[in-house]
Amino acid sequence: MQTQTKVKVEHLVKRFGDLLVLDDVSFEVKQGEFLCIVGPTGCGKTTFLNSLTGLYDITSGSILINGEKVDLKKHSVAYIFQEYSTMPWMTVEQNVRFGLSLKHVPAQRAAQQAEKYMDLVGLAPFRDYYPDQLSASMLQRVVIARAFATEPELLLMDEPYGQLDTELRYKLENELLNLWQQSGTTVIFITHNIEEAVYLGQRILVLSNKPTTIKKEIVNPLPLPRDIAAPAFIALRNEVTELIKWW
Amino acid sequence: MSRIPAKLQRWFRQNRQALLWVVISFSCLLAAWQIASMASGGRLQIPPPLEVFQAFFTAFVKPIGQNTILEHAAISLGRVLSGFAVATVVGVVLGIAMGVSDAVYAIANPIFEFVRPIPPIAWIPLSILWFGLGSANKVFIIFIGSFTYITINSYEGARNVDPQLIGAAQMLGASRLRIFTKIIFPSAVPYIFAGLQIALGVSWAADVAAEIIYSQSGVGWIITMGMNNGNYTQIMVGIIAIGVIGYLLSTVMRAVEGRLCRWNRQAK
Repeated sequence: MQTQTKVKVEHLVKRFGDLLVLDDVSFEVKQGEFLCIVGPTGCGKTTFLNSLTGLYDITSGSILINGEKVDLKKHSVAYIFQEYSTMPWMTVEQNVRFGLSLKHVPAQRAAQQAEKYMDLVGLAPFRDYYPDQLSASMLQRVVIARAFATEPELLLMDEPYGQLDTELRYKLENELLNLWQQSGTTVIFITHNIEEAVYLGQRILVLSNKPTTIKKEIVNPLPLPRDIAAPAFIALRNEVTELIKWW
Repeated sequence: MSRIPAKLQRWFRQNRQALLWVVISFSCLLAAWQIASMASGGRLQIPPPLEVFQAFFTAFVKPIGQNTILEHAAISLGRVLSGFAVATVVGVVLGIAMGVSDAVYAIANPIFEFVRPIPPIAWIPLSILWFGLGSANKVFIIFIGSFTYITINSYEGARNVDPQLIGAAQMLGASRLRIFTKIIFPSAVPYIFAGLQIALGVSWAADVAAEIIYSQSGVGWIITMGMNNGNYTQIMVGIIAIGVIGYLLSTVMRAVEGRLCRWNRQAK
């Protein structure tokens, strides 16, 4: 199963008028893989995700999921971004169940799924709270539980923890790894935080400045859970840092 | 049975300070009224509070004209609620349609901007000619006066939906209809309620105005009859009834809003 290709991007080019944003990007993501994409701020990471989900039309090239053109009605893709997209008029539980109800999951199964993922991210005691009663990290947990509860075949994350402080970020990163290992979903995680990429990814794609190409692909051999103070971790982090150096 | 008094007791304990101020506030008003009544000399021009309240409570059993004061109030409220209900349906539908469709907005907005500044009472003569002397003309006045507020707020609500939420719902596979019913409409609800709150006040004012100009029943009629007969006490009974009903309407509206928009409590 591990060797099956989930996402295949071939010669992807995206222009906005005269501005070339993505310049011939090609890569593959395997089923169940955790891929991190790092690159300088404003390098077109988000453009790539928006192209993948069909929000933008691509200029040329192709993006395939399971060998087919992306269709959000057919492929179950979840997207988590930096802004907290909880519905303020729904309680935590209603938010977590929202995706399931959109996908017409039967009520009993939806309740089980919501229960399971609320439990995994520690939200069960807060099920009847409204978003305005929750902290930032809890809001992002709601969004993460909502995404995982639909058991997406592909999870796209666009700097989901960008607004959190370091401690909470570590907590949520560990939670995410835990969820990923339990669910076996494929994850594409975009960040400009190198440490985060090295901490999470099985493979790291380093992007260049605009027009964006893939500068290098790094396989991360370190076993989970990773120790950010271990020499091997630091060495890998430095390697990625050398490749980017956008400051 | 025993829980209600306990609840009430607690409520009194918690709000003792506030209640005290209300009592002081009304005492000041009554005192000023009493002094004005005595200073004016003739009892006919400013009847003293006691006489007015006596007449007010007598009117619960002894009819003014054909109806007791409660019946007059019920008649007026019936008109207000009919006009307000129609205005709510039309206003919410039109406002949200204007919010989600640029074409509807482009067509409806100019007409709307023209109608909006016309005070509801300007429609009374036309309304009487169109709908006759009964309740229907009041319902029309109430509708025309209040639907604009509901429309504008519904429009604002539909416009100010957080695009992140629409994006998130799209990513979860929501159809356009689902995005409307599950995202746009609920997120517009607090705006709609703000509009309803204003509109209900305007409805009440429009109804009273229409009743004062021409009617055969209702609290506005009580005032006009009092004027025609030189009965100052009856006029003031009518005014107190209007104030009490207006207060009750906005209190009920706030309670409904508090219930339906529980999630939005921080915005208050």
